[in-house]
Amino acid sequence: MTHFTRRGLLGAGAAAATLLGMPNIARAAGGRVVIVGGGFGGATAARYLKLFDPSIEVTLVERDATYVTCPFSNYVLGGIRDLNSITHRRDPLRQRWGVRLVRGEARAIDVSRKSLRLADGVALPYDKLVVAPGIELKYEGVPGYSEKAADRVPHAWKAGAQTALLRRQLEAMPDGGVVIVAPPANPFRCPPGPYERVSMIAWYLKNHKPKSKILILDAKDAFSKQGLFQAGWESQYPGLITWLAGKDGGKVEEIDVANMTIKAGFGNEKAAVINLIPPQTAGRIAVDAGLTEANGWAAVDPISFASRKAADVYVIGDASIAGAMPKSGSAANSQAKVVAAHISATLNGKAPPPAVFHNTCYSLVTPDYGISVTGTYRPGPNGVAEVPNSGGVSPAQANADFRKQEALHTEGWYAGIIADALG
Amino acid sequence: MSRISLAGAAFALALAAQFGFAPQAAMAQQAPKPGELTEAAFTAQTCALCHGTPSQTPPTMPLIYGSNADQLYTTLLDLKANRRPSTIMGRIARGFTDDQLKAVADYLARY
Repeated sequence: MTHFTRRGLLGAGAAAATLLGMPNIARAAGGRVVIVGGGFGGATAARYLKLFDPSIEVTLVERDATYVTCPFSNYVLGGIRDLNSITHRRDPLRQRWGVRLVRGEARAIDVSRKSLRLADGVALPYDKLVVAPGIELKYEGVPGYSEKAADRVPHAWKAGAQTALLRRQLEAMPDGGVVIVAPPANPFRCPPGPYERVSMIAWYLKNHKPKSKILILDAKDAFSKQGLFQAGWESQYPGLITWLAGKDGGKVEEIDVANMTIKAGFGNEKAAVINLIPPQTAGRIAVDAGLTEANGWAAVDPISFASRKAADVYVIGDASIAGAMPKSGSAANSQAKVVAAHISATLNGKAPPPAVFHNTCYSLVTPDYGISVTGTYRPGPNGVAEVPNSGGVSPAQANADFRKQEALHTEGWYAGIIADALG
Repeated sequence: MSRISLAGAAFALALAAQFGFAPQAAMAQQAPKPGELTEAAFTAQTCALCHGTPSQTPPTMPLIYGSNADQLYTTLLDLKANRRPSTIMGRIARGFTDDQLKAVADYLARY
């Protein structure tokens, strides 16, 4: 049973007003905002629009019935969380905040008529449109890989069935097998994610299949929180993890899925389990609607996250080009608040408050060993820029209590962002 | 037990004891009036990412809503200057001017 409505999206009055070309009747209450995508970006935007101005009519369009978060999905792989515990309903947005939830797939944006069309043909007129579609995987970015091949070689870069598949493969592999994790070049969703994933797979292997090894075949020569991760691996999983940088032959050139073999710069490697994380672009609707640049991501005004390509359209989260901010759930949450403030002020004829952005990302090396990166950001002449002399990563030298404390804060952060986006 | 651990694990309890927070359940997320979103009110929304909302603050995170404004401001300045050890909050506090921290502390005290 679903609590979403597929039809009857508009009240009869609003629909009639639109048909008769009198959108101001429907707008009398404060304006109509349609949001595409119910992840951390879209859900936070919906909640904060209602917080800042309850009279705004907010409609959230989302394809999936529930939200399986990418953050904490690595803990499912490590066996310290189950999928159920990272699966959330969006009902509180409707019940507590009056957001209209529409289950459907955004297919096209008519910028001149200010209308979003869904796959089932329904058109949703808007005064402001927030596009938060996350990422699209470029399977073709790795020769030999495909959406079909992901049934055998999971990417697990969208949480859910892919996460469960990779977990099952880890459980089924023999002790002594090799696991390959292959992260893409920048930019991509969740820069520390592949390395936290390696940590969590190592946690599982160390405890259940201690003769096994992990090989990271990286397209890059450096990665997020690198010093912290590598020091953590050395102390917690000595000899278990090998990282091969792109410059040392780590870049994947081709995959032979049938033979579970990867061809990289250094040669061929066969593995029991392969986790291939392909390159990415902005979510399909952003690309199809012409909101993206040649690089596949959407350029935005750093003050408001308004699209550079379409009036009254905002792009937030992974899909956007956000300057110094990473593609993370925290960043999307923060950008959503800025957009909500900008839209609510604009619809009320007021000046929005100065934008401030924030990002905090925790990673677990073990269940009791957390590390973090944090940053505060402001709009600048060259895009969103980090406030100098602030933020940064956890100290390189810290005792076990400190790491344990950050592991506790990892749990706290998750509960916090869930409450802040969906509560 | 190390200094860090004291500052961390007991931080939430210490804050609560020090500032005499109001019960969480009694607080709703304070909505600014439409179109009257001040810089302080907006900046304060940033905190919710990790600290949760006034009605849903995670048990492992310090409760910041409804705190004493002066004491919270002093704490933030101490964190910023590393006079008070922290895992992450010092790094975050250094992203704001003293005036911005004061305004946020004042706003959070209104819950």
